[in-house]
Amino acid sequence: MPAAEPPGSDSGGARHPERKRTWTSPRPWRALLPAAGVAYALVAATTSAFTGSADLVTALPIVTLAVLVIARWPWRAFPRPPRTDPRVAHPHPWRAWVVLFVAIVAWEVADYAARASRADHPTLSSMLDAVDRHYGFKALVFFLWLCLGAAIVRRGARPQHRAPSGQGPGPS
Amino acid sequence: MSSALSYAVWAVLGLATLGLWVRSHASGSSPARPAVVLERLATVPFLRVALVLTWMWAGWHLFAR
Repeated sequence: MPAAEPPGSDSGGARHPERKRTWTSPRPWRALLPAAGVAYALVAATTSAFTGSADLVTALPIVTLAVLVIARWPWRAFPRPPRTDPRVAHPHPWRAWVVLFVAIVAWEVADYAARASRADHPTLSSMLDAVDRHYGFKALVFFLWLCLGAAIVRRGARPQHRAPSGQGPGPS
Repeated sequence: MSSALSYAVWAVLGLATLGLWVRSHASGSSPARPAVVLERLATVPFLRVALVLTWMWAGWHLFAR
C-alpha cells in the first residue's frame, strides 16, 4: 500500500495516469499558442509608444491575463511545498534570487535618482527603450513579455511539485 | 562620473543573473530554478498579486507609455 502523499505533492500523476492525463496532456490548440504569440509580437512591434494602437496591443494581453488569472487561479493560495521536494530541500533556495533582485532594484533606483543625464545613468527602461528602436528586438522583447505572462498564469494555476527525472522519491 | 560605471554595474548584474540561472540548473545546487521561483511567487498570497501587477505595469511602461 503506498504511503500517504504530502500535501501539495503532484506525485499522484505517476500512480494515477488518468489524473496526469487530465492535468498535463497538451490540447491541440495549445500547439498554436507560440506561433500566435510570435505573430502578435511581430504586429505589436510595428506600433509606436504613446499611440492608440500601442495602447490597444498592450492592453489586450493585460486584460487577457487578468481574465485568465481570475478564471484559473484558486482563490486560496496553495500550501507550502513539502520539505521533501528536492527542488526546495535546501534551507534557503530563494536567498540568492532575493539578493540579486534587491541589488538590481537598488541600482535602478540609484540611476533613476541621479541628477546627471539619463545617458550617464541608464535605467532598465532607458536601455530597453534603446533596444525597442529596432523592430526585431522590440518584437523579441514583446514576445518574451507574453511568454512571462503565460508562465505566470500557468504556474499560479497548478503548482507542479514534480521531482526532476531520476531524483523523484522512491517507493516507500 | 561617466556612464561607464553605470553600464559596468548593469553588466555585472546581468552576468550574475546568467550565472545564477546556470547554477540553479546544476544538480545538487542550492538556488531554486527560475521556474520554481516563479511558481513560488505565483502561489503565495499578496506576492502573486504583486507579480501580476508588476507584469502588467512592465508591459504598459515598456510598450505603451
